[in-house]
Amino acid sequence: MKVYDVVPGLEFDAERDFAQSPAWFLDGTHSVPPWTPMFGWFWVNFCRHGMQYGAEKLSLPTVKGWDWRFHKGGGYLTLLLVKSEEEKQRREAEFRKAILPFIEDYDGLWGGFVKEMLGRYEKLKALDVEKASNIELLDNFEETINTCRRMWEIHMYMMYGTYTAYILFENMCRELAGIDDTSPIFHNLVSGFDNKVFQVDRRLWEFSKRAREEGLAETLVQSNASEIVGRLDESAAGRAFMKDFMSFMNEDGWRMQRMSEINLPSWVEDPTPALVNVKQFIQKGGNFNLDEERKKITEQRKEAEKTVLSKVPQEQRGWFERLMVLAQKSGIFSEEHDHYLDLYTHAMMRRSALGLGNRFVQKGALDGAEDIFFLMPDEVRRAGINPDQFDLRYLVERRKGEWNEWMKTPNPPALLKEGFDLDMAMGVLVQSMDPIALKVVVGSMPQVRPELKADLYGTCGSPGVAEGTARVILSEDELHLIEEGDILVAASTSPSWTPVFSMIKGVIVDRGASLSHAAIVGREYGIPVVMNVFEGTAKIKSGQRVKVDANLGAVFILDK
Amino acid sequence: MSKKWLYWFEELNSGHNDLVGKKCANLGEMTGLGMRIPPGFAISVEGYERFMAETGAGELIRQYVRDNVNELKNVRKQVEASRTIRQIIESQEMPPDMRDELYRYYEELKQRAGEDEIAVAVRSSGAVSMPGQMETYLNVRRKESVVRKVIEVWGSAFTTRAIAFRLEKGMPLDKAPIGVAVLKMVDAKSAGVVLTVLPTVGDTSKVVVEGNWGLGESVVSGEITPDQYIVDKESGCVECTVNKKTKMIVYKDSGTAMTDVPGDIQAKPCVDEKELKEIVRIAKEVESYFNCPQDMEWVLDCSGCCPENLYWVQARPAKYSKTKEKEAEYLAELMTRMFKS
Repeated sequence: MKVYDVVPGLEFDAERDFAQSPAWFLDGTHSVPPWTPMFGWFWVNFCRHGMQYGAEKLSLPTVKGWDWRFHKGGGYLTLLLVKSEEEKQRREAEFRKAILPFIEDYDGLWGGFVKEMLGRYEKLKALDVEKASNIELLDNFEETINTCRRMWEIHMYMMYGTYTAYILFENMCRELAGIDDTSPIFHNLVSGFDNKVFQVDRRLWEFSKRAREEGLAETLVQSNASEIVGRLDESAAGRAFMKDFMSFMNEDGWRMQRMSEINLPSWVEDPTPALVNVKQFIQKGGNFNLDEERKKITEQRKEAEKTVLSKVPQEQRGWFERLMVLAQKSGIFSEEHDHYLDLYTHAMMRRSALGLGNRFVQKGALDGAEDIFFLMPDEVRRAGINPDQFDLRYLVERRKGEWNEWMKTPNPPALLKEGFDLDMAMGVLVQSMDPIALKVVVGSMPQVRPELKADLYGTCGSPGVAEGTARVILSEDELHLIEEGDILVAASTSPSWTPVFSMIKGVIVDRGASLSHAAIVGREYGIPVVMNVFEGTAKIKSGQRVKVDANLGAVFILDK
Repeated sequence: MSKKWLYWFEELNSGHNDLVGKKCANLGEMTGLGMRIPPGFAISVEGYERFMAETGAGELIRQYVRDNVNELKNVRKQVEASRTIRQIIESQEMPPDMRDELYRYYEELKQRAGEDEIAVAVRSSGAVSMPGQMETYLNVRRKESVVRKVIEVWGSAFTTRAIAFRLEKGMPLDKAPIGVAVLKMVDAKSAGVVLTVLPTVGDTSKVVVEGNWGLGESVVSGEITPDQYIVDKESGCVECTVNKKTKMIVYKDSGTAMTDVPGDIQAKPCVDEKELKEIVRIAKEVESYFNCPQDMEWVLDCSGCCPENLYWVQARPAKYSKTKEKEAEYLAELMTRMFKS
């Protein structure tokens, strides 16, 4: 007898799932490299729930959210389209009212949700996982599940509403001011804003200044990533520095090394990635001034605002300006939601699951605490109160074996029913008019311009031209390899990557749209970003010289 | 040689606001745009100040204000001040050299109009916004009356509200930056307003024309329900509401009066198709020149035919409702439309 079968609605079942939809797309932004089974369970269940919740609350006229499946560690998604014209019209009427809170009081809406989530996190953190009883730990785990579910509701409701406004702004810029989203002036319009992620960066930069002042710069610069913590502990100044650094971590370090996974430590557990960021700031030298850099971008934005508004007919300026402000909030939201929603919740999930994992190890149910990430929540529940009564190692052994296999071969970009090709599948995505699909996941297709004789063609995420050494980075744990002046080449980026943007000269990503992380952060740091080149990580090798011309959407490999 | 204080409209443009007041500067600008406006001239603020100085009215007013400075905080006293000051101004005669110059302009105006006997409108033209209605005199005939009405317009700068306003803002009481427009009356068949925006909803894709028989004052004052034509700027489609118009304003021998509209034309549209088209055409042109929705006043002369009988007496930026809620609803509507393929 088989130990387990495909779980319907969780794991991909070709027979049933192709009957539901002929095309399932890999979420390359979040599920490469492959997820652990527990994280996949959380994502498939609650991202699906959140997207349908958001689409329903807003009554999006054309789409009802997405469905998700887990397949070999990859998250695969398909869209739930509104089928009849009549239903579309009904939803349109509702949507017109449902979108108003975004227009009328965006900050109030978002601020309220942030407060709600921070309240939930505080409650979860109040439990001392080392001293708690098993029952308390299991309760905490259940509350974490609820928190994750609520996080996705807020996440997708906000994201659908926010990006709808952003797309309208793009359209209106084109119609009224003749400015298109590939134009540098458009990108200047939406950058130069403060947000939580930048505030954290700023703190890291300040710590780099302090390290220099207190004679710790050498220690940091000359240590490998793994040695930094130990070397700092050798001096009194280093210990004082770390004390303050850890209290900063306890405030703002509730984020994961890898955004969409729980099997790597959070900054609170292991501050090494954050310290590497400090080290990188030191390496930039004493003249580097983060504030000055940011100020320049803000001034450029104000200039761009003036230019664009002057092109808009006066009687249209009232609402146009309001729309512009709303679109500008999309960039802030894109960055901040990662901090307050995904990263923080995932840090809570890891904390809670590891609390139980440690008990399971003590009582022999598991061999290692992190093995709990190979269990499903129902299995955790089973052994939660009396872990001494259960042996769950056989489940872990089998799933871990599979997981190691998944790591060896990349997941296909889409699972397609026979007779259905990728172009047809893209057609469905575009037809959905789903704001998230269009702005984050799919983006616009690059224009191939043979006359440029470029090696790769993409779309402009952030304008500019740069030349430098390519550095291909496939996952977050390779970020420390980046050197000053490199051109970053990646499948995509996430907030954990933000600090390296101050070191690099340009970015090439395989996938992305104008509201993807790489585009937003590239604009904030004023460096060129070319997106949707599809095969950047495959074609470019670390060490090659490359030229990035984001204005043209072209990448040139200079030494082939 | 004293300073120039009389100007033909073609000598003026919107930059002359401080010189001749808003209305005159605006009429000058319209003339420059090639719009047909009734022939006329402007009396500058300088003219007012010279009158006040030469007749001694200015000094009398200053004396009165000095004597009553403490009591003027009292509203009842302000009412009395208004009456007293207007009395001071209106009891003056126009200094002879000023009068003769005014006569000369009036004579030339008759020549320009090509008529021996004309009626004019004498309108106030304030250089700054001041609460309280300043006077306008319609259908003024003969040069002596014109001079008298000009003095009365000057006096009308001292309404009770205007006095209270100036006291509150700490502005000198005896000064009033006021110009006067003297322009030929159009023998109005019908008249009204045109807005290049639907003011209630802020829809800038439409032009709305409202009109009534007779002089435009009946439409502007809102005393009657005028005919209404809503025209789509792009397609030219007209949505027309012809109302039963029972009252209109017409000239009498001197001045104007409200009278009954003859029964046979009460339910008839007060502009024909050709006239409507011309009104809309010009309104759109002016709007695109100023790059801003316009609020304009038009008059159709009894004699002549379209387009020669169409005159303009006002063009200014339209005030229209663009409240926060309206903007929000409009944005919501735009976002909804986005989902339609």
